[in-house]
Amino acid sequence: MGQSITRQARWVAVSAAAGLVLLAACAPPSDDDDGSVAESGTVKVGFLSPVTGPVAAAGIEMREGWELYWQEHGETVGEITVETIFEDDAGNPDTALTKAKRLIEEEQVDVIVGPLLANTALAVADYVTRAGIPSLQPVTAADDLTQRKHHPLLLRAGSYTGSQMNFPGGQWAYEQGHRRAITLCPDYAFGWESCAGFVRAFTAAGGEIVDQLWFPLGTQDFSPYVTEMRGTDADIAFVTSAGGADGPTFVRTYHDFGLTDQLPLLTNCCAMDQATLRDVGELAEGIHSVSYWAEGRDSPAVQGFVQAYKQAYGKLPSLNVAGGYLTAEVLARALETAGGEATAEELIDAASSIRFEESLYGPLRYDEYNNPVGPVYIRVVERNSDGEYWNVPVETYEDVSQFWTFDPEEYLQQPPYDREHTGQ
Amino acid sequence: MTRLARPGRLVTLPRVALLVTLALAVAVPYVLRSYYVSILALAFIAGLLAASVNMLAGQMHLVSIGHAGIAASAAYAVGWASHHGYGHATQLALALVVTLAVSAVYGVTSMRTSGIFFLMVTLALGMVVFGLTYRLSRVTGGENGLPGIWRPPVVAEMWQFYYLCLAVLVLAVLALRVVERSPFGLVLRGIRDSESRMSSLGYSVAANKFVAMIMSGVVAGTAGVLSVWHAEFVSPASADFLRSALAVIMVIVGGVGTWLGPLIGAGLVTGAEHLLSTHVERWPTVLGLVFIAVVLFAPNGIVGAARDLAGRLRRSRARRGHPETDTSAGTPPAATEDSVTSSAPNR
Repeated sequence: MGQSITRQARWVAVSAAAGLVLLAACAPPSDDDDGSVAESGTVKVGFLSPVTGPVAAAGIEMREGWELYWQEHGETVGEITVETIFEDDAGNPDTALTKAKRLIEEEQVDVIVGPLLANTALAVADYVTRAGIPSLQPVTAADDLTQRKHHPLLLRAGSYTGSQMNFPGGQWAYEQGHRRAITLCPDYAFGWESCAGFVRAFTAAGGEIVDQLWFPLGTQDFSPYVTEMRGTDADIAFVTSAGGADGPTFVRTYHDFGLTDQLPLLTNCCAMDQATLRDVGELAEGIHSVSYWAEGRDSPAVQGFVQAYKQAYGKLPSLNVAGGYLTAEVLARALETAGGEATAEELIDAASSIRFEESLYGPLRYDEYNNPVGPVYIRVVERNSDGEYWNVPVETYEDVSQFWTFDPEEYLQQPPYDREHTGQ
Repeated sequence: MTRLARPGRLVTLPRVALLVTLALAVAVPYVLRSYYVSILALAFIAGLLAASVNMLAGQMHLVSIGHAGIAASAAYAVGWASHHGYGHATQLALALVVTLAVSAVYGVTSMRTSGIFFLMVTLALGMVVFGLTYRLSRVTGGENGLPGIWRPPVVAEMWQFYYLCLAVLVLAVLALRVVERSPFGLVLRGIRDSESRMSSLGYSVAANKFVAMIMSGVVAGTAGVLSVWHAEFVSPASADFLRSALAVIMVIVGGVGTWLGPLIGAGLVTGAEHLLSTHVERWPTVLGLVFIAVVLFAPNGIVGAARDLAGRLRRSRARRGHPETDTSAGTPPAATEDSVTSSAPNR
């Protein structure tokens, strides 16, 4: 038996090797693609977002924003029909990559929108842009997508970079008379970049960072961090989160430890988003935060969108919804100018040269790295006439660039932000 | 059984099926579109990782839920070397060194344990690797991972890469079979059956477990290298607990201790993850139900259940009076062969 097994093994090995040698010589047929984005009057959009897994809630919101735009405006732009194929990436880079492959190779999509998480977006961007497919990013904040790894075929259509959306927070804190800040951010790329935004602007203005605390993903208990904050001589706390349960849990702890009245608090976009306010709105009333999205901004564009979303989904929209919606608007306007015959480059060029007089985020344009330049708001949590809590802007910083006031080339010389390097 | 009978036995149904499957696998890039070719390559890579888990689980009853950590270490080695401008040969050499080093750590920490303790140690080590990939962001790129790790030009096209994966998988399965049937494999099985008996016979239980872990680690590391070449990207998700757990699920669903089982399991899980998920949003639920069904109704996995079914058919046919169709049991020499390997159902 043992002998026959070795014989069998040899047989299999020899035949496999022979087959491989034969096959390596002649290539199987490969699929080819044509140039224009909408050959038969239809633009096929591959929409990647996580609708299962740990970030499903955000992924579903992003999809809702996208769908809301096309429901309102119809799925045609001039003569061109926009057809969307949704795929679930489960928040996993490997899954996102195979799904992107499916969308491009099987469905032959002309544009990729998404995905949501930074790591999935970075994984997919390489493949998508190499395949010559234009890519629009609705929510991803990863700095490098439009910095060290920027690509002419990728446009961050609906979101700012992690540091960009927090620069004005540092400036504002200094202008309010604060000089010593303590920061608390999640201990991974988004947290590092967010914290770096605040820290760089705050220290550039002349403020001092007393201490930087980092919390790991999935932290359930913020009391050690809050205790630490109470023990310092800081006069402002800057706290960020990527969304989810961190925001409400932190606000509750901060309140329970009686810090709300002792140490002024500034948070980022997502620690004070609608998920937090629906949960602990009462405790959050009066808290300041910094973001490019403010659902309580008094503008027809924003309020029309807020009402439409509320009617459809029964709640106020978060920044994920706004990102999805704005990305759809960018695509529609780009198709309008570029037309269906446009190549991938022409489509992204048309999109990045859009100048919004007024968008969901305010007056908006794109820089040469395909990243938005626009306003960032300092917001405060208020109760609106319907009894819901929302973020109302109290101060606006116009034309905020991803490089803040720094020189782009010098800025890009530095290593990416991490725990040890937040630009102090 | 005489030698004369052997040529006839070479052409048995499983062997024909095996060759047909191999021929089909070779024909795939000519028939299917490149997306499906890439999914199949992914299944082969998953099968490789499952085979490395299966080597320990099947021969030694040591279930590791940290093997994705070894694979991810090798993947990160390739990624790091590629980002620092080293050629593919250096990348592979570094991957081998890292794989051996990480497997050695796994081996040293787990070699004196068994059962649930082995499981917990490997779980912890897997989490350590995951944590390191997150925190050593200067080396690993942190949560963002390392993009742009290109395949060697020889396998740049997906179909070329597919053949590489197929070849590596076939070779690895053959190598694991050789190890299993070697004297060393028998020692491993002896340790599984009774550690105290083996140590009183003069075998070092810990040393043998260590060597087994290194061997299994090398296969896992190979899977890691192939996976980073497949995605051309690596991130902490590749060292995730879920990856390790899915590898164990593949082994259990397919059949622990069989060579074919982990491959079938890998095919099922990869299929659910990448193909089913397009049509069924709740695909993890489907996978969970399959897993529960297998544990309840086919505790030896799909291959085990198939073998039981085949055995039952054969017996009932034998009872009806066709003893000549009964090929594997019956003659005394074959029976003794069976008794040697009976503890490892690996036919």
